[in-house]
Amino acid sequence: MALLKVRELNLNIPKEAKALAERMLKDLESSRRPYLEAVKTSLDNSEYNSKVGFLTPGDKVVRTELNVSSVQKLARVVFMLEILLRNLDIGAVNTKRELYYICKGLIKGNARYKPLDFEDQTESDSIIDFIGDMLEAYREELNCYANDRGGQTYSQQLVVTEALPDGDKATVDLSTLGTSPFQPKNRPQSLKLKAKKKIDFCLVVESEGTAGTLQSMGFTKRNNCILMGAQGVPSNGVRGWCKLIENQLDVPMYFFGDLDAYTIQNIFRTLKAGSAASLIRNSDFSAPNVRFLGVLPGDVKKYDLHTYKVKENDVADARSLKKAKDALENDPFFKDKKNKDLSDILRWLIKEKVRCEQQSYFMVDPKDPIKTEKIILEKIKKGDYV
Amino acid sequence: MSKITKSSTAEYFAKNLQQVGFSSPLKAVLTTLKEAVDNSLDACEQHEILPELEVEVTKVGVGSTKNTDLIKIVVEDNGPGIEADDLAKVFGEYLASSKFGRGQCSRGQQGIGISAATTWAQMTNAKGVQVISKTKGMRKAISAQVDVDIKTNTGILRNKEMIDWKNKSNGVRVEFLMDGRIQLNGDGGLLTYIEGTVLLNPHVTVKYKLADADWVKTERVSNVTPEIPEATLPHPHTFKLGEFITHSHLYGKISLSKFLKTGFSRISDQSIKDFIKAGMPKALADKTLTSMSEEDFKKVFQAIQATQLMAPSTKSVLTVGEEALSKSINRLGQVDFFSVMTRKPTICDFKPVVVEVALARFVNRGAEDQPVQLLRFANRVPLQFDKSGCAITWAIESVNWKSYGLAQPKDSLPLGSYVFAVSVVSPFIKFKNASKETIDASDELVEEIRRALMQAGQKLSRHIKHEMKEADLERKLAHIEQFGPILVEKLVLIAEANDSRRKKAEDGLKKILGRDSEAAMSDLEDAQSKLAEQKKKQAKITGEEGEEVVETSEDTAEEQSKKTETKKTKK
Repeated sequence: MALLKVRELNLNIPKEAKALAERMLKDLESSRRPYLEAVKTSLDNSEYNSKVGFLTPGDKVVRTELNVSSVQKLARVVFMLEILLRNLDIGAVNTKRELYYICKGLIKGNARYKPLDFEDQTESDSIIDFIGDMLEAYREELNCYANDRGGQTYSQQLVVTEALPDGDKATVDLSTLGTSPFQPKNRPQSLKLKAKKKIDFCLVVESEGTAGTLQSMGFTKRNNCILMGAQGVPSNGVRGWCKLIENQLDVPMYFFGDLDAYTIQNIFRTLKAGSAASLIRNSDFSAPNVRFLGVLPGDVKKYDLHTYKVKENDVADARSLKKAKDALENDPFFKDKKNKDLSDILRWLIKEKVRCEQQSYFMVDPKDPIKTEKIILEKIKKGDYV
Repeated sequence: MSKITKSSTAEYFAKNLQQVGFSSPLKAVLTTLKEAVDNSLDACEQHEILPELEVEVTKVGVGSTKNTDLIKIVVEDNGPGIEADDLAKVFGEYLASSKFGRGQCSRGQQGIGISAATTWAQMTNAKGVQVISKTKGMRKAISAQVDVDIKTNTGILRNKEMIDWKNKSNGVRVEFLMDGRIQLNGDGGLLTYIEGTVLLNPHVTVKYKLADADWVKTERVSNVTPEIPEATLPHPHTFKLGEFITHSHLYGKISLSKFLKTGFSRISDQSIKDFIKAGMPKALADKTLTSMSEEDFKKVFQAIQATQLMAPSTKSVLTVGEEALSKSINRLGQVDFFSVMTRKPTICDFKPVVVEVALARFVNRGAEDQPVQLLRFANRVPLQFDKSGCAITWAIESVNWKSYGLAQPKDSLPLGSYVFAVSVVSPFIKFKNASKETIDASDELVEEIRRALMQAGQKLSRHIKHEMKEADLERKLAHIEQFGPILVEKLVLIAEANDSRRKKAEDGLKKILGRDSEAAMSDLEDAQSKLAEQKKKQAKITGEEGEEVVETSEDTAEEQSKKTETKKTKK
């Protein structure tokens, strides 16, 4: 079965893995401590250049050298690596959870493997992530896919053609789906996009429910656009999908979500520039051109929107304030001058200690069911976004 | 105007029994048992008798009050016995005590407890206490029922008869029938009380039957009756003006200077000169007490407070001692390891105090994730209620037990299958209430208890660290055995290598990990030798080498560890 390529990759994973095993074996044969190295995926090893547009890894690596404490991890890594290599060989795919159970099955079948057993999925997940970071390969390139979440898309103009593993092609005209969304699989790279008519913009809405409401009220009927629900922190699928739209259609993309530190820092930043945890894959899983449409601090005043107090004595609130302050100091994305408008919003949030939800647009003119759409369009028209 | 009436002391207590430990059916049973046992132990100690107690607490029927049982509480001792003439006073009259305000470290102090128990029995079951008593001088034992005459605060003897008593030469047996309820375990439990009493009284043999359980006998581990130190005179700095004047009334028509010298400790002729320097009118020194005005007393009192005096003597306190505690702790169950600490007597808030701590981990007791069992003692009496307000609890919570290897949630008791026993002994313990349930927490006292705990904690940590190192080594060795071959097997598979390379790699792996386990082994040996050093000291304390003196606080655990280190470097 032909495998779908996620990107043009000059890396031959089975060959790399074999070379790695060979090197470790040689070390052992001459009583040297073998080691594994992987890119350090954390904020302190993240770099941001606005011309590149997403977070890229620095020079730091995590080195795991064989000793009595690390022997368990190393054994688990090569154990899992063997499973992944076999999957690549025969063209089988799995989710992380499935891999967790595959390990369990193998361990159950052989008493010698018993000590390797994973107590819960987080343990096997971290081994899979480590292998990805070590080989600098995407999880998808190891035939390991995440569950689909988010990315529900509506449009009257968009036609998607999917190349199937068996060589067939499937074509979906989104205008034929009514109020049902099209949801990209977590392999958006296998999709080809075409616009039946010029598409003016793409709107990504944080709340999938609100995206659905806009669609029901005829948003895509009145506008030549792509409307998408993100469903919270964008999954790999959503991020890859937005990247694809950016690459293949070249339409301006706007994000509409809550005005709070969590949305700016976790949801919007991840969509625009990727995350520290996925440093090696941000190039294909971020949409650097996306703009933050709102809710903006200016909107709160302009439309007299209802806000909530962020209380410093509330544990969750205090934590988010602290995280926002940390982001201003340590996150290269927010430290970059190019993103000053965004870091200004964080500063405003820290100073005012309020938050405002995207749904508050619905209070502006409660009797007009498409008031929110009107506000969004007006903002796009006036360039009222950052 | 309404008529002002005067009520007797007995009337007051009968209406306020909750103040002296009778606030619930559960507490009533525990308090009665406690008062009876306290009295027995105090009496035995005063007559240097090794106490043998028989305790029985059983449910015999339904109580008269709602939701209560009729409980029988029997305590029998081999003490000196009580003279027939004194029975009514001891059991039926409030504030009739041989111990009131004497400044001795006895368990009982005021003479309220046992009379309150009699009152409770009388109020709930219409019968006071059934007593049998025999002194050496009596030919036959006296058996009688004692009731409290509430109106007059006097005891009444009923059904008095002389009986033959099991060939016993001397002793007292009390039997209460009262409304109450039995709780065995937990902070306020009867078993907790018995265990606490057993722990702090190594010289006691006790046979007990609680509720439906069988008789249990715990033998003494020490044949020495604690020597009750002489009573001390009060230190003037512990007094308030009112007390000072009242105290003077006890001395009648003598001169002020004589009163100060004989009525207080630590006042000499020199001190009186110092008082004069501090503003006491010189003429007052020779004035008789009876002719002094309140104004005069105030001047004297102020001058005394402004003058530095020697701290009171610490001779009036007694300790159980590390040796006896070490032995006694084994009576509570199978001990894994333990550490005991007896501090030197010291002064807190101008009162002599001594703190003793025993920390022990038991094999079949408590749980890893539960708070340690805390046993608190004041003058060797277990304190079982209102733990959170007690100086002892505060001190424990202020120590960082994590550094000794114990888990501890923030500002709480540490966790684990341990018993923490902390005893505070002082002739003048400040309780928060008359039922003697919590020790008032002054900064000085909390600090003193804290120090004792830390020293005991250091000793304990030797055991814990040794154990951790042992587990660590075991884990490391197991890791090598378990994971090494899998690592090699999979590497060989991925690298498509042959069998001879596999063998070579396995040998290499063994070499590498062998080096690591050797390092862990030497860590363990290190911990072992430190522990052995401590055990040697412990052995000395528990008297295995005869005449060794009980170690005191001067030689702290910290210093001990320093010594161990220097010894090592010398090697």
